[in-house]
Amino acid sequence: MVKGSGSAVKLVGVAKRYADVVAVDHVDLDVKKGEIFGLLGPNGSGKSTLLKIILALVKPDAGSVNVLGINIEKNPVAIKAQTGYVPEVPRLYEFLTGIEYLDFTADLYGVSTTEKRDRINEYLEALELEGREGDMVSAYSLGMKQKIALISALVHKPKLLLLDEPLGGLDPRSAKIIKDLLRELASKGITTIMSTHILEIAQAMCDRIAIMHGGKLLATGNMKELREKAQLPGSNLEEIFLTLTGTSDIKDVVEALMK
Amino acid sequence: MKWKNVLRLIRVDIKSGRLVRGQKLRRYKESRVIQYVMYGGSCIFGVALGLLVGMVYSGVTDPEMKIALLLNVKNLFIAAPTLVLTYSLIFTMMRQIQRTGIKASIQPPYWLPFTWVEHTLAAIVANLIGIQLAALISVVSAIAVVSIFLGEIPFAVLTISALLATAFLASVTTEIFRVIQVKLTGAFYKSSGKKAIWLRFFSSILLIIAFYAIYFFFTSGANLPAIIETLAGGQKTVWFIPYLWLGIALFSFLNGRVLETVAFSLGSVAFFSALFTVAVKLNSRFGLYEPPAIRISIGGYAPRSSLWERLGFSLSEAAIMRKDFKAFTRRRELMYFFALPIIITMIYLSLTTSTPYFQGLSFFSALILLAPGALMATSMGSIIIGQEGTSVWRLYSSPIKAESLVKCKYAFVVIVSCAVTLVCSTLGILIVRPLMRTILAAIIESILLIVSLSAVSLIAGIKGASFVEIPRPRMIRPVESIINFIICLILAGVILFPLIPYIGTIMGFYSPPPPFYLYFALAISGVITAIVTYGSFTIAMKNAKDFLAKAEI
Repeated sequence: MVKGSGSAVKLVGVAKRYADVVAVDHVDLDVKKGEIFGLLGPNGSGKSTLLKIILALVKPDAGSVNVLGINIEKNPVAIKAQTGYVPEVPRLYEFLTGIEYLDFTADLYGVSTTEKRDRINEYLEALELEGREGDMVSAYSLGMKQKIALISALVHKPKLLLLDEPLGGLDPRSAKIIKDLLRELASKGITTIMSTHILEIAQAMCDRIAIMHGGKLLATGNMKELREKAQLPGSNLEEIFLTLTGTSDIKDVVEALMK
Repeated sequence: MKWKNVLRLIRVDIKSGRLVRGQKLRRYKESRVIQYVMYGGSCIFGVALGLLVGMVYSGVTDPEMKIALLLNVKNLFIAAPTLVLTYSLIFTMMRQIQRTGIKASIQPPYWLPFTWVEHTLAAIVANLIGIQLAALISVVSAIAVVSIFLGEIPFAVLTISALLATAFLASVTTEIFRVIQVKLTGAFYKSSGKKAIWLRFFSSILLIIAFYAIYFFFTSGANLPAIIETLAGGQKTVWFIPYLWLGIALFSFLNGRVLETVAFSLGSVAFFSALFTVAVKLNSRFGLYEPPAIRISIGGYAPRSSLWERLGFSLSEAAIMRKDFKAFTRRRELMYFFALPIIITMIYLSLTTSTPYFQGLSFFSALILLAPGALMATSMGSIIIGQEGTSVWRLYSSPIKAESLVKCKYAFVVIVSCAVTLVCSTLGILIVRPLMRTILAAIIESILLIVSLSAVSLIAGIKGASFVEIPRPRMIRPVESIINFIICLILAGVILFPLIPYIGTIMGFYSPPPPFYLYFALAISGVITAIVTYGSFTIAMKNAKDFLAKAEI
């Protein structure tokens, strides 16, 4: 599969409001197949809501959403079947063991016995969870829970990955494995949309990035396009982000705090 | 020790109740009026009760009866500290057991400048707040008012002081029990592996049954006067038990033994101080100890097909049912659902075996076969969705269809409730030995009730699902829970209605109906059940579609 051939996710005029808070404000977005697409934005900018809308977990108030060629209103189950999702805080069933959780997830997606055994064992080994898979999830550290959530998103070989802060809490080795894995998956046509606060990761990993603020999409594109949009030639993503989101008054804030 | 810190910690505990009530406060302050309504009501109830007893006493003209009444009230005063101790122990321990199911426990904020003395004292006081304190206010108010009529104010003052001290004594004992239990549990989990799951399951149920058995023993109308009399006269013979010293001090005061009164009162203060010191020491050593998780399996992962799949459920349905089975056997707050039918069975058995009126009523005895399963279906059906908690995102984001969700959740409730009916029925049949026809009718009706009430409760369970988990899992919103219970009660009445002539005959109210009537009545019940179940299942399906479409947590 050639990267960028056809849309994996297409949003047109998508809006979502919670009482008097505008979570997503008429967003248009076109993510191509095989892309690693980054969603950046300050806390409460609407990134998580947008991911939930794409997975049909949140019904938009306006606009249309097409995922993998399927309209979310018409067949949300078909979209979920082909998507792997890791929420910002992946709350797992704490009374299950890691392996029971993964087995449960694989069954929800209808993965056959042989396939799930092979895949789960491979992932457990790769992410160094072997030997702890029989412990209850309640005993896991944040990073271990994140690894289990990531494996559960990958176990059914999804065509689309929606990852909300996927590398939070991971040790450097596991983070590197996940990053390389996402690149490898992208080369095979698997699309990834990830939200992150770690700008270095977004700059290094993502083919294209969208910057959100107050529910609005401020800019979308690759690094070159973002620099042009921010009129900051040669700048890094942090400078672009702070300029576009109007939060570049960091120095003044620190000075005020030090008084 | 800073008293302000103790008060701050107690306030945190009280405010944690906001999360259970689901209050969304935008302002820092909230009205305290509602907070104190329960205590005010308890005080009014106590005063009214005191006035009633006092006026009855004043109205008695017969001197002998007046003396007998006075003696009984004095006996009650003497027995009160030990009775309050027992109640307080049961309530505070039950509260602690409930708290073990709390997902995010109220951990002592060890990084803030609090001492263990402050934390322990706050925990002891906070443990008493709520129903426990309301009950104590009622008793204390009643004693205060009645003492005016009896002319026993000094005795009442001493009794009230003893009662307050007793409540603290019970709470500090519970605090010690809590810390030791956490430490022992940790050691046990570490050494037992998978066996710990089942041992924990059965021991938790047995513990709660034991508490209820003690509670019913003390509250049973037949037992209470005998207990009061025994305590009033017999406490002194077991003077070496420090928990009884407050009661003995009252007994000594009533008999004019000042020295003994002072000795036992001071002894009680010393005992409380000793217990408090132990609680502080234990807290400082094990207060932050978290029991390790149970290691359930060791070695490679080798999946295999489950019983549910062999019964014809799809892979995803079977996965949800397997997961729910593990939830009900591993999560402490869910384990207690299994204790409920056993407690009901115990009540029925104690009624039918001890009360001559019930012994002759074969059909009434058969209620033991009916009630546990129906109650299980009602309660379990209403929380089967909400018990998913915040992990429900897993179901939301998975390709589960509404049909599958309703099917597996409904089947799980029905199968577990039928299993409970089977166990309770066997127990009931062996002990009560009703007629064969009664057994047959009761078991059929029980299954009909389970089938219909599970479907009805599932409607409420989906519509009223609450995924709040802090400080404890709520599972269903209170309004939906109450409405569901009322609807189930009415529907149970409607389903059982055709059997009324049969029950009436056994109880001697009507002339016997024709022999075939029982089978006719069962058939009508069956038809009603089919209609109720079909209707409820359809509504539950619609609710499940909405539930999955508006998957917003």
